[in-house]
Amino acid sequence: MARKVIRVKDLTKEYDGTTAVKEISFQVKEGEIFSLVGPNGAGKTTTVEILECLREPTSGEATVLGHDISDEAEKIKEKIGVMPQDFNTFDRLTAEENIKLMGDLYGSNNVEEIMKKVGVDKFKNKKFADLSGGMKTKVGIGMTLISNADLLFLDEPTTGLDPHARRETWNLIKDLKRMGKTVFLTTHYMEEVESLSDRAAILIDGEIEVLDSIENLIDQHGGGIKVRVLEDGRAVEIIHDKADEVLEGEDGTLTGIFDSKKEARQALIKLFQLDSKVEVQDAGMDEVFIRLTGGKIDEGGELV
Amino acid sequence: MNRALSLFISLLKNWIRSKSGVFFSVLFPIMLLLIFSTVFGGQEAVEYTLHVQNDDMVDGNATATSEGFIQALDSAESLNVKEVDNITEHREERTFGSYRGLRIKEGFNESAVNKSIELRMKVIRDTMRRANFTEDGFLDETNESDLENFTAESAEIVLLLSEDDQGAPMVKGTLHGVINSFNSRMLGLEENDSTVEVTEEMRDERGLQPVDYYLPGFIAAFIMTNGIIGVTSNISEYKRNGTMKRLTATPLKKRDWILANVGQQTVLAFSLTAVMILVAVLVFGAQAHLGPYAIGLIFLGSVAFCSVGIVLGGLIKDVEAASGAGNAIAFPMMFLSGAFIPIETFPDYLQTVARFLPLFYFHQGLREIMIFQNPSDAFLAYLIIGIFASIFIMLAIKTTRWKDI
Repeated sequence: MARKVIRVKDLTKEYDGTTAVKEISFQVKEGEIFSLVGPNGAGKTTTVEILECLREPTSGEATVLGHDISDEAEKIKEKIGVMPQDFNTFDRLTAEENIKLMGDLYGSNNVEEIMKKVGVDKFKNKKFADLSGGMKTKVGIGMTLISNADLLFLDEPTTGLDPHARRETWNLIKDLKRMGKTVFLTTHYMEEVESLSDRAAILIDGEIEVLDSIENLIDQHGGGIKVRVLEDGRAVEIIHDKADEVLEGEDGTLTGIFDSKKEARQALIKLFQLDSKVEVQDAGMDEVFIRLTGGKIDEGGELV
Repeated sequence: MNRALSLFISLLKNWIRSKSGVFFSVLFPIMLLLIFSTVFGGQEAVEYTLHVQNDDMVDGNATATSEGFIQALDSAESLNVKEVDNITEHREERTFGSYRGLRIKEGFNESAVNKSIELRMKVIRDTMRRANFTEDGFLDETNESDLENFTAESAEIVLLLSEDDQGAPMVKGTLHGVINSFNSRMLGLEENDSTVEVTEEMRDERGLQPVDYYLPGFIAAFIMTNGIIGVTSNISEYKRNGTMKRLTATPLKKRDWILANVGQQTVLAFSLTAVMILVAVLVFGAQAHLGPYAIGLIFLGSVAFCSVGIVLGGLIKDVEAASGAGNAIAFPMMFLSGAFIPIETFPDYLQTVARFLPLFYFHQGLREIMIFQNPSDAFLAYLIIGIFASIFIMLAIKTTRWKDI
């Protein structure tokens, strides 16, 4: 059984009478990518910054790598790597100089190795101010990795990046998992959660709505697998026979919704044997979020 | 300590690569030093313009005596004489600056000649009395009486000055000097006829110049502004753009952060001092000496004012507000402390205000050490800046937030 590297119990944070985080509890297992997902203002950054010892909780308990956040901040900071939200660093230092500075602060000197690993070596002599958003994120991850910590906190690392840079960052984060790192990720991109995470917690208004593995979340809250048949005859019969719910489209097509993947697979085998024309739409975290909250998060992170 | 050193090097590199940072921290003070020392360093060559209206004319030509008087005025080093037709009208044409006018009245020549005769007689009578000529019979009573009875009116000139003209005493002094010389010449004395002879001795040493006053003042003032304005702005900007949060999430300690900032400001202070002394010596021949006492006081000053910047940067969240607060403290202190202008020229109450400002003791102390080479007179400066530095370094530790930034 994997060790719990983060344990949070009834954690609450209030700012001037407003409760940003309300009695949340969760645990993060060693070696997993754990995502805290939610819209802007949900309390993601407040939670992660409490765990990074950058904020004091109002009440509740938390340990990081076995150390209590309330009185062992120095020990925790030495053992974790952090990439804060809206990450920034010294503008007029080069990418290499910024990573080296972090290396000096953590007492590690594998700058070249880290730069190569995250792809900073190609632009290491460029000043941070002159880098693109994607390059800056790579420097940020490099500055986080140079800590040589096994637990990394990445607070919205892909916000504001173009799709290409976002994909590159995802690959880097997947590499972190392959290296055996535990990653605590916050994001408002559902695709990112689904693509990267082992488990995720959906945070709304400071409270955890649901927490589970991505597979379970989609299975239980995704609304099932949708199979749309584009012709009449036997295929329609199979959909009516096997699907948990059948929807008739305005264009006359039929969509069968399967709650279970197993049922959907059996129906699809039969449809393929008949050489029927079908469209399959698997449920994702978007559907999970919509079904749980009744809303959707837009590109800017706002709940709509 | 290694963390503080690494951060110090990074802060220094980040600063050196900022063109505007280097300009306002080092080049701007040098420019001001050059301007002040040049503009206020040439006071001995100041000339006061005197507009002269000559009404003493005969057949449309100025009389010889009035012409001679004008020439005598013009030969004075501090006066620049310009003849005009009518000083009243000429004055009305002007809208800015002090106007100095002199009108030589009609009859100047005749009065001056007659008065000179009266004076000559006075001199003769006085001379004879001094020599007891009357007792020896060289001069009879009648002749003496003739001398007594001859009187004449003085020649008249009118000097026109403004009440607020600061150059008025200089112009009046010069004018009286010229009149005295003129009197002597009218009495028949030559230029060299004098009861008192002045012997000029030129000593082979350089006197203090304005640059010698300005140099310590500028060094102190800009170490202060770099600390209070520069550090405050930098810290609030690091807080705004997230760099500070990035640093606080690492094992870096609060004391390392303060040490690195103080270190950076100290290096900046010594660089500024070195460059300013170099420029002042090469351009103006300033006689500044940078010994261990000056280095010690500069170190204390940079620690003190950098700590003020760290306190302000730590307390104020908003970048604009932090920058405004830095300016609001630094600029009045810069001018009220007498760093640029001797406080002896201030009203009494402002002199009292100056003595409450740490910058006053900082630049006074530096002047005693660097210019007068009198470190013992800088004891009070050391004491006050030392206490100030200690208080603010403690406040900096207290007010720097390492959580909830």
